[in-house]
Amino acid sequence: MSVVLSSALTAGLAALAAGVLWLLGWWLRRAHLWLAPLGVSLAFVLLYWRIQGRPDFPPIDATQWVFWHALFALPLGWLAGIGAAYRWVWVWGALLGTLWLFAPPFYNLMQSGFWSNAAGVAYILSFALGAWLLMTLSAPLGDERGTGTPFLMATLGGVGAGLLFYGAKSASLAQLTGTLGAVGSVGVVLSLLRGFTLGRGAVALILFLYMSLWTTALGFANLTVGQLALLYLLAFTPALQLLPALKRQSPQVRFALPLAVLVIVGGAAVGLAYNAYMAQGSDHYSY
Amino acid sequence: MHKQFRTRLMAQIAILATLVGSLQSVQAQPVTYRIDPVHSFIIFRVKHLNTGFAYGRFNTFSGTIVVDERNPANSSIELEIDANSVDTGNSQRDDHLRNPDFFNARQFPKITFKSTRVRKINDTTVEVQGNLTMRGVTRPVTARVTFTGKGRNQRGQEIIGFETTFTIRRSQFNVNYGLNGGLADEVRVTFAVEGIRQ
Repeated sequence: MSVVLSSALTAGLAALAAGVLWLLGWWLRRAHLWLAPLGVSLAFVLLYWRIQGRPDFPPIDATQWVFWHALFALPLGWLAGIGAAYRWVWVWGALLGTLWLFAPPFYNLMQSGFWSNAAGVAYILSFALGAWLLMTLSAPLGDERGTGTPFLMATLGGVGAGLLFYGAKSASLAQLTGTLGAVGSVGVVLSLLRGFTLGRGAVALILFLYMSLWTTALGFANLTVGQLALLYLLAFTPALQLLPALKRQSPQVRFALPLAVLVIVGGAAVGLAYNAYMAQGSDHYSY
Repeated sequence: MHKQFRTRLMAQIAILATLVGSLQSVQAQPVTYRIDPVHSFIIFRVKHLNTGFAYGRFNTFSGTIVVDERNPANSSIELEIDANSVDTGNSQRDDHLRNPDFFNARQFPKITFKSTRVRKINDTTVEVQGNLTMRGVTRPVTARVTFTGKGRNQRGQEIIGFETTFTIRRSQFNVNYGLNGGLADEVRVTFAVEGIRQ
């Protein structure tokens, strides 16, 4: 089987798994709270398995933590959909959860001596707090109807994949990011169904997994702090729809503005990373 | 005159025999050699897109070889390779090799080999069994090592040479990137070493 066909099959399988569970959640209504994050988790587990193989537990290789993050962060996805009266449980739970989830992979870089203890602690705290902010501020997007949110999530995957491929020089992390975006694109099709929403848990979990992949690329591959910061800011663009000023605008404007930021800024970043990659030498390397 | 010459000759032969004997007894002890990184090479090759072979090398490594000529089972080798020193003649590919798709060198900066058993095959060949640790995974490896020579370098130090070629499956060390047609699983490793007597 060719590499391209194999990659397409991987993305297709993962998207199908997520799509079936999201559809089931939409059909069963009340179960959507549980099934939507489960769809994200199952899809990511499937695509990791196809791309990277079976991971160890506990992982010897710290980059395998991205697989376990998809499972261990699932309760956070479920918690995100908790009723408004208990939302503080989600907010504090997400904070503790992200701190707990980001410590094990990056502790390894302190052990190997690549990061000093002080730098390692600073990175872990920054990653956890960054993911927490992104998840808690963006989760309400899951209640939005229409194709906007899943389309922006999918585009984020594409931009992320591009930067990880050219900037971080990690094909597997780029492939994981890109296929996670493909999973998000299933939501675009499903959101054509009347009353379909991605759900707060699914949105929070997708964004957490993006953060897990991007921070892994910073720690273990060649993604720079600047590139990570750019990806992080771009991850907030779908949430622009929630701003009161934009809420008063037409659906077209609410969709077009974040998309324009994502495509123009993200596309420019991928283009710059590609140019820097090509400028490293005349000895072109195509993976 | 003739008798006197014969007596002197006998005495010289006796002294020579004593000298040779003492030299042999010195050589019979296990001798430790430090791997000379300037005159040693670790090269590998792997098939790319099921078409051609890509070659690479590691530029930084260190280690010791203990040679016991009388009892080869007492011989041993320890090797430590800097994973960041991988060199394939293309800086972009080298960066990719250091990353999690391959060596994950930030977490696992060292690749190590430590022999566990040495068995004599013939006068110039031994079979070395040992543990290769790469990317945090330790697997047994067996290699036939050939003695390539012995001599002295320009500083007058005793030097010894060996060479071996063996094949590993990278998937056994969790190096799985590109296994579906991009890069072969089998990696052929050649280790040509020159050691300086300590």
